[in-house]
Amino acid sequence: MTEKPAILEASQLGKVYETRGIETCALANIDLCIGEGEFTALAGPSGSGKTTLLNLMGALDAPTQGEVRLDGERLADLGPAALSRLRLHKLGFVFQAYNLIPVFSAAENIEFVMELQGIPGAERRSRALELLEQVELGGLGDKRPLEMSGGQQQRVAVARALASRPRIILADEPTANLDSKTAIRLLDLMLDLNQSQTTTFLFSSHDPLVLERARRRVWLRDGGIDRIEEGATA
Amino acid sequence: MLSTLRLAWRNVGRNPRRTGIVIAAVAVGIAGTLISMAIFYGMMFQMVDNAIRTDLGHLQIHPPGYDEDPAIGLLLPAGGQTEIRAITQDPVTAGYAPRIRGEGLVTSPTASVGIRVIGIDPVLERDVSDVADSMVEGDYLARPRTAVLGRGLVRRLGVEVGDKIVLSVQDLNGDMTGEALRVGGIFQSPLAALDRSTLFLAQKEADHLFGLGGGISEIVVVAHSRDQAGGLQERLSSALAGREIRRWDELQPLLASILSVMDQMAWGLYVTIFIAMAFGIANVLLMAIFERIREIGILLAVGLSRSRLVAMVVAESLFVTFLGLIIGFGLAGLFLFLLSDGIDLSAWAEGMNAYGMGTRIVPVLGLEDFTIPTGVALLTALLASAWPAIRAARLRPAEAVRHD
Repeated sequence: MTEKPAILEASQLGKVYETRGIETCALANIDLCIGEGEFTALAGPSGSGKTTLLNLMGALDAPTQGEVRLDGERLADLGPAALSRLRLHKLGFVFQAYNLIPVFSAAENIEFVMELQGIPGAERRSRALELLEQVELGGLGDKRPLEMSGGQQQRVAVARALASRPRIILADEPTANLDSKTAIRLLDLMLDLNQSQTTTFLFSSHDPLVLERARRRVWLRDGGIDRIEEGATA
Repeated sequence: MLSTLRLAWRNVGRNPRRTGIVIAAVAVGIAGTLISMAIFYGMMFQMVDNAIRTDLGHLQIHPPGYDEDPAIGLLLPAGGQTEIRAITQDPVTAGYAPRIRGEGLVTSPTASVGIRVIGIDPVLERDVSDVADSMVEGDYLARPRTAVLGRGLVRRLGVEVGDKIVLSVQDLNGDMTGEALRVGGIFQSPLAALDRSTLFLAQKEADHLFGLGGGISEIVVVAHSRDQAGGLQERLSSALAGREIRRWDELQPLLASILSVMDQMAWGLYVTIFIAMAFGIANVLLMAIFERIREIGILLAVGLSRSRLVAMVVAESLFVTFLGLIIGFGLAGLFLFLLSDGIDLSAWAEGMNAYGMGTRIVPVLGLEDFTIPTGVALLTALLASAWPAIRAARLRPAEAVRHD
């Protein structure tokens, strides 16, 4: 367990999916705590429950057992509107692909989250451009996602995740659709953000490039925690 | 909210062909409805206006009991001077004309026809009636002992201008009396019934023929517009207690009910068009949402609330409908501009006249003919988007973000 101040805590977390009366246990009895400034990866083979756990911890889905706390607040106590606000203000997401709104430019994708937060226009614009600089995409603010490469799109997604100044960024297989060179650039960027700005990252991935950079790897197997490894291997 | 609306607006342009089809459907539906209604209203208003401008006026003032039994003995005394004073003092009065109204038999060398006899002041009558402008032959009571007959009546009698006819009537005392007249002029109005059975002669000659001693049957009053008839009726009713003062729609309830039926038909047409439109919009929105499930998941994940998501879908529907409305209004406006001189229906003149219509129909649209479909269309768009919006709002972000 981490000794850093806890951001996300899962206790006795479980998820059972029901399809046409058939129950499938995806996750059971998970106890996990993510501390501030961590760079942690949920690892394991396909079907081990990585994405399910990430979804539950990111308030994208509701558990059927146990609970998740974000900054001590029980997610189960929150209604849909409060969960939307929580995702908007405290969580950032980077998904595998097609992360961006195709009809918005890169800058508009970043600004969108800030506008939902009620940040005034001028401040939004300057912060969006600043974030694009930070992810090494300065000058590409007016490009639409389809005019950018997969790696560039993922970096815009990281910038958008940072835009709301979240407590933690959850990244679900962020390198799955990238070639290794692009993946390394993206991961190094995230690692740099983690080290320079103490941005907390929680990944779900089986990509060795992610796992070797993670300072903690939570290995899942058959819906439960198999083992936890500490320390980067890269 | 601005970015949600901007997103909705850009989504509208995402699939130009599909959006274009919906916009075109809305535009054609709106334009078709407006044009149809404009032509129907043009026909109906013309029918009403023709009746007003040839016979009814906006108001008619009669002596008490005239409604019950319009007998020749029921008269406004002294040429209706008391009534005329009240009429001329009212600011909305545009014209008035006294009339003597009776029944008679007109005989030519070849036929006898039962007719309405109307004694008029040819000068004042021009202010309330277009019959003087409908003259096709001869003159409008310019010479003594002449009569003006409708084209239909002339045909029935087999006479022409200058021919002699004999008019027989029952006078005030109930005695049969007659007068030899010449056909002074022939009119052809849009009212076939008027043309077939009406004879106009000068008021003084009618007074002499019926032996009325200066009394008149009615005063026809015309206001500056049809909408002023109600107010004028109220004021004259209080100034002229005891007289029967009737509006055009009370004199001819059938005309009023035709207009009312037209309004109901308009609503029926709007509802039919908009129900069809609603299915089209809902279908397109549903397709758009099914194509964007993953994207909606992302939006929900980054913190877009479900209420804003609903607003986005509703806004997309409203934008598409609004664009369709603008184009539809433009098409209808262009069509009506091109038809501003009227539609020539002279090929069906006989049939049109039988219904009291002229042979040139000018389409008519009022402001409310634009505001009502706008309101109904936007309401339809709102309702049509409800189902897709609810479908979108019910998506679970965890499933939506992984949707293929």
